[in-house]
Amino acid sequence: MNQYLKVTPEGMKDFLFAECSAMDDVCGRIEQVFRGRDFKRVITPGIEFYDVFSLPCSGIAQEDMFKMTDNRGRLMVARPDSTLPIARMVSSRLKNSTLPVRLYYKQAVYRNNPTLTGRRNEFLQMGIELVGVKGIRADLEVLTTAVQAMQAVSHDFRIELGHAEVFDALSDGLPIDADYKEKIRLSIEGKNYSALNSLLDRLPPCQAVQAIRSLPSLFGGAEVFDKAAQICRGTAAAEALGYLQRLYGSLSALGLGDDLIIDLGLVQRNDYYTGFVFSGYINGIGDAVISGGRYDELLAEFGAPMGAAGFAIDTDAVTLKSLSDGSVSYSDNPDVLVFAADGHEMEAIAETARLNAQGRRARFSVLPTLEETRRFAAERGIAEVITVE
Amino acid sequence: MKPLRIALTKGRLEKTTVELLEKIGYNCDEVKNKGRKLILTVGNNDFEVVLAKAADVITYVEHGVCDLGVVGKDTILEHGSSFYELLDLGFGKCRFALAVKKDFDFYSGYNTKTIATKYPKVTRAFFDEKNMDVRIIKIEGSVELAPLVGLSDGIVDIVETGSTLKANGLEVIEWVADISARLIANTASLKLRKREIEELQKKLEDVTK
Repeated sequence: MNQYLKVTPEGMKDFLFAECSAMDDVCGRIEQVFRGRDFKRVITPGIEFYDVFSLPCSGIAQEDMFKMTDNRGRLMVARPDSTLPIARMVSSRLKNSTLPVRLYYKQAVYRNNPTLTGRRNEFLQMGIELVGVKGIRADLEVLTTAVQAMQAVSHDFRIELGHAEVFDALSDGLPIDADYKEKIRLSIEGKNYSALNSLLDRLPPCQAVQAIRSLPSLFGGAEVFDKAAQICRGTAAAEALGYLQRLYGSLSALGLGDDLIIDLGLVQRNDYYTGFVFSGYINGIGDAVISGGRYDELLAEFGAPMGAAGFAIDTDAVTLKSLSDGSVSYSDNPDVLVFAADGHEMEAIAETARLNAQGRRARFSVLPTLEETRRFAAERGIAEVITVE
Repeated sequence: MKPLRIALTKGRLEKTTVELLEKIGYNCDEVKNKGRKLILTVGNNDFEVVLAKAADVITYVEHGVCDLGVVGKDTILEHGSSFYELLDLGFGKCRFALAVKKDFDFYSGYNTKTIATKYPKVTRAFFDEKNMDVRIIKIEGSVELAPLVGLSDGIVDIVETGSTLKANGLEVIEWVADISARLIANTASLKLRKREIEELQKKLEDVTK
């Protein structure tokens, strides 16, 4: 039988030295933003009941989850998402606390991606959830936190903003079932104009159909609102659009300019979004590194109806990017190796601590002889060896 | 800023795409006389072109190492997952079809049918839609052989003229999907380089209409 002793499973990886240092750096910057804005950290279990993630609105396919059973045969999964467990947690453990609750997390999620695609099956995410409050102030708090977090880790990013209600309001009135609606949503999400057109051509023409047809092309700057307002005038989507314009107007105070864009075709797979939705991109990373939005219906699924909004950042992607940019300064080497003559080990350890306290990077040599210590220093390129005797 | 990088499917789609790019005013001499180079410059360093096998075009675009790609809908249906499909370029037209031996009544009886195909995902989706259980066998080469030698009851394959089918006593009993070349874009690229991509998309749209 094969023994898989020396390799990691596909989609998993070890992080070594400089990689960890880069990750700590990225996470530290984001954490500073979250803490600075007074979000409090929570940790949810790495393994949860499958039921938490199998809600129809979760948008997580069962084949994407790593599953196992507990000792009573109940189905468990390695957490594929952090928002759903937090919704579970808030609706149970925090249901009697004073709202809103402001929390942040820093934990890995697990996805069983198709094989041999080079995708990561385990990745660290950091995010916030602002639970128990609705309204523009909460939305602005979430969005500006997201922008600030992006600014902390990148100088070249773009945020796109959309609204789940636009598509929902337009499609609700159409004579279609959920499957057909999902096909339309997928073709909008994929900006697949030809598929979208052929789906819509089969429906009786009306204003909503025309409006949906143009959704994927409605992305860009403030000019999108003029076009969209014309197309959606008098439809149920007009209200959502007006709200989005208000958000966009407020956020323009941040001076993001072209780096804040509107995309009315932003219709995400996570069905739980009900209000604004957004994604963020960093130049050089081929996928969204941040995504989030408002999900006012989700907590009701856990028996505690209340408004909520939040986002998650794929900090692994940001880490890998900063490593490939070489923007991380890291050295394995200390400035000084401290060698102890026999019997002087405790003095040398004290000396090492003293040097470190002075701000020099010192390391107590654990090798048995001075010769070996010198050879090691030469091989590693460590400049100085001092001896305590 | 780096030029946009486009992955083209080697072979016929590449040739037609190059013709289109020339039609809208880009010099493609380097692509036409490529020698052994793998990354080629188009126009006045407007784009970089990468030549790849069809399924790899999708892989390169999905990972964001190429911003755009030109690839057949057949490959998208079989391998695609997350990217934007911006434009039906209208060339490379053909169709996926379900074909069986002439006069064979495929849908009769209750036994589970066997299908040979190079496109298991397309086949699976087609029969899932019909709520029909089939046994799918992946074949790498000439799929037409499978029903002739008794390996399968039918095939799902790309049909252009249908002459290979006819020569082997097979006939199309159902069309599965229309195929043509598509312009695809990496999701992040479209957001980060909207203006350039939209400009090219518009030009290609005008010239293929």
